[in-house]
Amino acid sequence: MSALSATPATRRSRSEHAMLLFVRYSPLLLLAIAWELAALLHLVSSDALPPLSSVIVSWFGLIKDGTLFTNGIASLYRVAAGLGLAVVIGGVLGIAMAWWKPVNVLVAPIVEIFYPLPKSALIPVTVIWLGFGDASKILLIFLGCMLPVTIGAYNGARSAEQVLIWSARSMGAGRLRVLWDVVVPNAMPELLNGIRTALALSFILLVSAELIVAHKGFGYLIGILGANGSYDAMYAVVLTVAFLGFAADRVYLLITKQALAWRD
Amino acid sequence: MAGLDQAAIRDGGREPVALRMMRGIGWGFARIFSVLALAIAWEVLARSGTFTPFQLPALSAVIERIWSDGVSGDLWINTGLTLYRALTAFFICAVLGVAIGMAMSRNLFAHWFFDPIVSVGFPMPKIAFLPVVILWLGVYDVSKITMACVDAIFPVIAATVIAIDGIEKELIWSARNMGASNREVLTQIVLPAAFPQIMTGLQVALPLALIVTVVAEMLMGGYGLGGAMMVASRFANSTGVFAGIVEIAVVGYGLVKAMSLIRRRLLVWHPEAHEPSTA
Amino acid sequence: MPALDEVSLAVANREFVALLGPSGCGKSTLLYLIGGFLPVETGAIRIDDKPVEGPGPDRGIVFQHFALFPWKTVRGNILYGLERQGMRKKEREKRALAFIELVGLQGFEDSYPSQLSGGMRQRTAIARTLAFDPKILLMDEPFGALDAQTRALMQGELLRIWQRTPKTVIFVTHDVQEAVYLADRVAVMSARPGRIKTVVDTKFDKNDPGIFKHEAFVDKVDEIWRLVREEAIKAQGARRSEP
Repeated sequence: MSALSATPATRRSRSEHAMLLFVRYSPLLLLAIAWELAALLHLVSSDALPPLSSVIVSWFGLIKDGTLFTNGIASLYRVAAGLGLAVVIGGVLGIAMAWWKPVNVLVAPIVEIFYPLPKSALIPVTVIWLGFGDASKILLIFLGCMLPVTIGAYNGARSAEQVLIWSARSMGAGRLRVLWDVVVPNAMPELLNGIRTALALSFILLVSAELIVAHKGFGYLIGILGANGSYDAMYAVVLTVAFLGFAADRVYLLITKQALAWRD
Repeated sequence: MAGLDQAAIRDGGREPVALRMMRGIGWGFARIFSVLALAIAWEVLARSGTFTPFQLPALSAVIERIWSDGVSGDLWINTGLTLYRALTAFFICAVLGVAIGMAMSRNLFAHWFFDPIVSVGFPMPKIAFLPVVILWLGVYDVSKITMACVDAIFPVIAATVIAIDGIEKELIWSARNMGASNREVLTQIVLPAAFPQIMTGLQVALPLALIVTVVAEMLMGGYGLGGAMMVASRFANSTGVFAGIVEIAVVGYGLVKAMSLIRRRLLVWHPEAHEPSTA
Repeated sequence: MPALDEVSLAVANREFVALLGPSGCGKSTLLYLIGGFLPVETGAIRIDDKPVEGPGPDRGIVFQHFALFPWKTVRGNILYGLERQGMRKKEREKRALAFIELVGLQGFEDSYPSQLSGGMRQRTAIARTLAFDPKILLMDEPFGALDAQTRALMQGELLRIWQRTPKTVIFVTHDVQEAVYLADRVAVMSARPGRIKTVVDTKFDKNDPGIFKHEAFVDKVDEIWRLVREEAIKAQGARRSEP
């Protein structure tokens, strides 16, 4: 952008920015208030919808007695392990597919076939293979998240313009060097986008599996609390894990914005 | 008057029908070939003894199981039920989603109200709310359909908003210029112009509705593809579990294919369907 | 900064007037105001002494990027305005066919815009606007998206059509030669905020194929080009500091 322009640049002060954020998210605040009122005024049965205040109270209770932490750590460990494996292996695989024809020929049909398969259908299979513990969840998340990461890496690597590669070669870079210096950075935006999808998918697969077949974790905790009739605690955990999924996405965007700064 | 531009295009840029058909069949063959190759690899691997029949039942055993389910009628009941739930959820969220999306792009209040809900809700694992939905609505079809709706409505809303915001304002101006009323602009211009992108959103929503339905069935049990898989899983019947995977995969693939065929028919005018012409 | 400053222009019935000026001078904005697509802040636009209040079929517009309805065929696009007029089916079809012939698109009635070239799309757009018989024709750089050869052909086409069914035309362009060739009068606009700098008479014999080489024509183009050039430089300067 040129230094001078005919229109004055708009810059918002910190407080203006905060004000705008508040206005933007205020409907959520209104919903929270409506929730509290509906429960207090007994508009709905207090079983089905406990007041927001008692949900918050039980949330603190769960923190204090450690239940939230033990289950939370178990869940987050599973996500981290499954997603981490998927990112590393999927990323390498995708780039390898784009760079070496034989790898592509071998792997591409597998990718195409498993693309339309809903990964949650694999929940029972991972259970009969690996039981109710961590391993089955990690395997599920790994298998499910591989696909978006591989496809992102593949498309990203393929999009590297031929002229960039030729420039690097003419400056003396060997094949592997070109791969590392040109193709990988070029693949980053699409790869990072694929990882973003995988991140959201990992939470979905985690919660689905834990709701159905687990002995610990967020999903398990939700089920147990529900079965016990501790609905306000159940709501607390539901909101916690939903919010964590949202926060993970936002944090991811913040971190990757730096990595993609060269794009525009 | 025959201009140079007319001479440059013969059939409006379309390639002859025969050539197009052959190209389509070619792609179909490639896909069938890879499926066959994978099927053969599965059978060989299963029989080779690398895995136990429990870990990897032979494809032939799985197909046998599906066949007997078909004969006994279970296959049709389960598939039919899952499809009914998924499709009901899909149609409800299609109508609701487009309506909300339209309201959001035209009405400031609707936009203010729904925007944070959509943008915060999108990356959330909404399946976590399934126990809440069950609490409210019980263990019947209603809760499965509602849950699938809640999940699948998001891409529809997002696509609708993007579609309507992206309409060239000159299209609307042209219609107004020709005397179209507000309602006519909405139904005759906005909806057709936004349709391609809305259709894309619907194409994302349908498989999503299917999988959420299946997960809900897994949790709640009973009939349906998800419920049947959980039963097999509880009885450690791996053939049954693999049969379920194949069935869900086939249903999923069928739905996706159907949608893309519908899209092709409805969007025959879309530039993506034609070769670009000169000038 | 506002798009337009004080603008005052009177256009006679059946006159062909060109609005000429550098990019960003507000000439399209002026056209949109006349068309009723944008609200006027101060002043008024009057047609036959009646003020303009929103878009309507008395002022037909042709856009630079055609604005054809991509889901309708050529015929469907042309029929749209006629349908809005409430014309009866038989009449509509007849009239649409007549205009398809007028712009030379016979055989392409059932093609979609995505199957047509730029020149053909523009002819469809022109036919569509002419079909509902607006008193005034507003054209927003209609040939700007076409390549040079097609543009030359279309200019001839437009004149031919205008001579057959004369209307008041207000034609926006940044191409000086096009303006001098097509128009009876050329209104040269200043850089943003736009004002009408001068109005020059440019009546030439448009049917003369050698017109572009005539001394009088070339001199006129030169004269107007000098006027525009000053403004074009000013417009550039507003976006970049001068060397």
